[in-house]
Parts: sequence; structure tokens; C-alpha cells
Amino acid sequence: MSNLEVGILSFPALLVLIFLRVPIGLAMFIAGYAGYWVVTGSPSMAMARLKSASYSTFSNYSLSIVPMFLLMGYFATIGGLSQSLFRAAAAFVGHRKGGIGIAAIASCAGFGAICGSSLATAATMGRVALPELKRYGYHGGLSTAALAAGGTLGILIPPSVVLVIYAILAEQNIATLFLAALVPGLIAAMGYMAVISVYVRLYPDRAGVGERVAWGERFRRLLAVWPVLLVFLAVVGGIYGGIFTPTEGAAIGALGTGLVALVNGGLTFRTLLDSFTSTARSTAMIFFIVFGAAFYNSFLALTQVPQSLSDWVVSLGLAPVMVLLVILALYLLLGCVMDSLSMILLTVPIFYPMILALDFGMSPDHVAIWFGILVLIVVETGLITPPVGMNLFIINAMDRSTPMIETYKAVMFFVASDLLRVLLLVAFPAITLFLIP
Amino acid sequence: MFRTLHRAFHSLAWLMAVLGGAVLTAVVLMICLSILGRTASTILHSALVEGAVPGLAVWLLDHGVGPIRGDYELVEAGIAFVIFAFLGWCQITAGHATVDIFTSRLRERSRRWLQLAIEAAFAVALVIIALQLWDGMATLMRRNTTTFLLQYPVWWNYALAVAPAFLAAAIGLYMAAVRAAEAVLNRPLIADPHGIDP
Repeated sequence: MSNLEVGILSFPALLVLIFLRVPIGLAMFIAGYAGYWVVTGSPSMAMARLKSASYSTFSNYSLSIVPMFLLMGYFATIGGLSQSLFRAAAAFVGHRKGGIGIAAIASCAGFGAICGSSLATAATMGRVALPELKRYGYHGGLSTAALAAGGTLGILIPPSVVLVIYAILAEQNIATLFLAALVPGLIAAMGYMAVISVYVRLYPDRAGVGERVAWGERFRRLLAVWPVLLVFLAVVGGIYGGIFTPTEGAAIGALGTGLVALVNGGLTFRTLLDSFTSTARSTAMIFFIVFGAAFYNSFLALTQVPQSLSDWVVSLGLAPVMVLLVILALYLLLGCVMDSLSMILLTVPIFYPMILALDFGMSPDHVAIWFGILVLIVVETGLITPPVGMNLFIINAMDRSTPMIETYKAVMFFVASDLLRVLLLVAFPAITLFLIP
Repeated sequence: MFRTLHRAFHSLAWLMAVLGGAVLTAVVLMICLSILGRTASTILHSALVEGAVPGLAVWLLDHGVGPIRGDYELVEAGIAFVIFAFLGWCQITAGHATVDIFTSRLRERSRRWLQLAIEAAFAVALVIIALQLWDGMATLMRRNTTTFLLQYPVWWNYALAVAPAFLAAAIGLYMAAVRAAEAVLNRPLIADPHGIDP
């Protein structure tokens, strides 16, 4: 067997391991280790790499953003910012048709601006908004689906952990990617709001309306949201303005939300320890996948699979947009069973060189950014596609009275809006790129 | 007997997670201090301040107002410790990402044996990682390289990470033993991944 064949065969082997419920990071580690062994005839090369492989992944300066963003999200939760966001949004639109649902999406978007994780956004906003949606007579499936979809705004609106990982894999500037994600993220939020207002018109009996709130009260509630705005502007503005690095921005964000939580009385010794252990669990999970992926990808590079695959695709002479659409469709398919981060780590090293080798009539950096945002959207759609959408599970677990099938049915409307948005961004790259210098 | 043992490992993992969280907080504060120092130093170097109160500006700058030296290196060293410290907690609370859809139809008994195989493989991986990290540290000690700015031996960074790496490996081995017992007894010993009671 040639090295190339070993490399190509390692991919189905890896998928078998993953489908046997082997943790994804471990599966990639095993595939990489076995791959090195087969290709070099002994485990010594893998062992030699491991002398520094774990340390160099875990000490990566850019990756240190991840635990800080996660900590920031937990602080924002215990600081009650999710509550203020929802109350403010509901004051403005709650009395309209579908207004409470729209308020839930808007507050998800607001929380996404200070939280870099979809699961955390879904969990936090679900706890706040789900009881309210129920109180105003929202249909179970619509409520859970809206919050599951709203949760993906945590990643779609910067800052975003997944985008950080993509930036590192594609060697792109994190600040530029955050900026590029902003407009598509806002379009996503508007798309979900549009879905809700269409849905409540199709099924008028499935949603009630809230009380009208006086203007004075509206602005009082809006004022309570200022810490969110401040933290977002400091973090994203500071990073983009070149005042500090993304890692420094994450540190400021964590400190800022921590202080807000302290002032609001949410941060006690007990909740601080809980934030630490929650951060520990998610961080270790993410870093172990990153470590496994880096190890597996170093083996793949040795076998020259990524290079050969991209040469082969170019030699086919297909239209670049066709290749792009096929790749995006593959992500959607994979997203039905796998989480977003693992998909990115597993596939970007293979697809990225392929995309860069094709001619889209743009500079390579622009293609890299555009592709990154498109991938971000399709892997996030994976979080809400049945049967294995993590956000669906998280929200559905909070609402025992709604059968999973109801959530599945309603969420298809939101998935449709995701697909529409992908096509829009594929057709008009300028939507993603017009802010980029 | 088992409850005491599990409580001991659970507490150990929890303690490491909290220690990691404390170090993470320290890194966050250090970064913010460094930004503050850098901003202050820029202001003090500005023409306006140097013109108005030159003595004060020079005095402050001489007394160390400025970015923290080698903050970049400290972040890397600190975060590596943090991540290794977090591994054990993720292991004992079964926090790793998996794809469950194809195994959910397996019989309970088969699932327990499969889980044992997976947990055992994970333990082996964690042991290999810890041992190779130790080996990497030994190599760096012989080479005597130092960090770029702070000029301390690079192997210190590894030494800091080695202890939590071995603790994570120990917790991995313990979890494999738990899964072995569960497979043999064919009943759950740890019901809720977060809880203590079976």
C-alpha cells in the first residue's frame, strides 16, 4: 500500500471509530497514531512527535482565547445579562404578532455578541425565554425550535470560538474573520425573525401576544442592557481597531463580564467555582479534539492526501462554484451527526487547499474569509438539523411537555432560512467581504 | 468502599479544575494589567505629557509602568497548565464529544463492553501523552534552551504541565476500571456523570 492509499483509507476508518461512539478527539488521535505506524513501519515517529505535540497545542497563544471566551459566557449568564436582554427586547416588540418569539431571537443575537459558543447561548437563553414563550401560549415545537436556532447566533455573531479555530487552521487573521461574520450574523438573526412572523401567520393559533409596554419603561429596560453593549464594543471594537490582540480582547471580555456579574450580585464564591468547572469541561473537550485533529492532520500531511486530493479536484475541471456547493452539501450531511468544531477540524485541512486551488475571481485571502463564513454557517446548521442537532437536544431537554418530533417539524423552517442564507452568500460574496479592506 | 474511592477521584479532578480556573483567572488579570501598563506607557511617552510633567513621566516609566515583560510567554505557559489541569474533570464527568446515533440501538450489555474498550483506549492515550510529555521535558533539560524574553529554561513550562498530565492519566485509568466493573457487573456504578451516587 502506498502512503497515499493509507492516508485515504484512514478517513473511513476514522469515521467507523467515531460512529462507534469513540470520542472524536480520541478517534483522530488513534487514527493518526495507527497511520504513522503503518506508514513508517514503527510507532517511534508518532512517539517522537508526541514529546511536544500535546504541549504545543495546549500552549498555543491564539487558542488561549477559547477558555477565556467560555469563561466570559458563563460570567454573562450568572450576571443576569441574558435576562435583561430578553426583557428589553420583549418591551419593544412583545405586543406584536410573533413578538415574544422575535424578542427571543433578538436576545439570542445580543447574547451571541458577548458569548462565543452556541451551546452556551442556547442553554442560557433557553432558560430565560422558554418559560416566557410558554406563558404567552406559544406552541411547544415553535418555542423549542426558535430557541435552538437562536442559539446558533452565539457562533454566527462574533466573537466565535469556531471562527477562532478556523482562523488558526487557515492561517487567517482572527479580527478580519470576526468583522466578516458580523453582517451574515445579523442577516441570520433577521432571517429567523422572518421565519417566526411567517410561522405565526400560517398557524395563528400557535402564538399569543404580549402586553404593550409604555415607552418610558422600554427605555428603562434598554438601559439595563448597557453592559452587553460595552463589553461587545470593547472586545470586538478593540480587536478590530488593532488596540489589542484577540487573546487580549477575550481577557478584557472575561474581566468585564466578571465585574458586571460581581456588581449585579450574581458572582459569588459558589457560582465562581461552578463557572470554573463548566469552563473546564467544555475547554478540555475542545482542546482534546484540537489536539487529536492536529495529530491526525500531521499524519495526513505526511501522506500528502490534502495536496493530492486538491490536485485531483482541479484536474476534473469542474466549475469552482459546483465544487463549493458540493463541499457545503457534504458539511450539511455530516452536520446531521457531528458537532461543528469536530467537523471544522476534520475537514478544513482537506477542503481548504482544494478551495484555494480553484479560481473564484477573488484574491486568496478573500476566498479564505468567504469560505470560512460559509463553512461557519453550514456547520452551525448542523446544530439544528435532525436527528442529532445538539441545540435541539439542549432546548428539548428543558421542555418535557414538547415531543422531539414537534421540535423537528418546526425547526425545518429555520433550517430552510439557513439554506437560503447560504445560497445568498454564495451568490453575493460582497455581503461577506464589503467590510474587509 | 466504591463510593469513598469515587469521591476521592471526583474531588481530585474537581480540585484540579478549580485550580486551573484560578490560574486562568490569573492569566486574564495579568493580560489586563499588561494592557493597562502598555496604555499608560503610551500616554506617558506622548508629547503632551512629556512636555507638561517630564519628571513625573520619566519617574513612572523608570519605575516599571509599561506592559508586563514577556506577557506572551506567561500566557502560553499558564494556559498549557490550565488545559492539562482541566483534562481530568472532563474525563470523570464524561464530557468528551461523541456521536451517539449509531450505538443507541445496541443492547445495554454490549454498550457497556464497548464503553469499556473506549475508556481503556482513552486511558492508554492519556498515559502515552503524559509519558511523552515527561520525555519531552527531559530532552529540553539536556538542551538547556531558555525562553526568548524572560530567559528562564523552557523545560520549566513542561515541568508545570507534567503533574496535571499524570493526574489526568490516573483519572483515565480509574475511569477505565469503573467501566470494567460496570461491564462485568452489568449495572451502572456512576449514574449521573456529574453526581457521586451510583
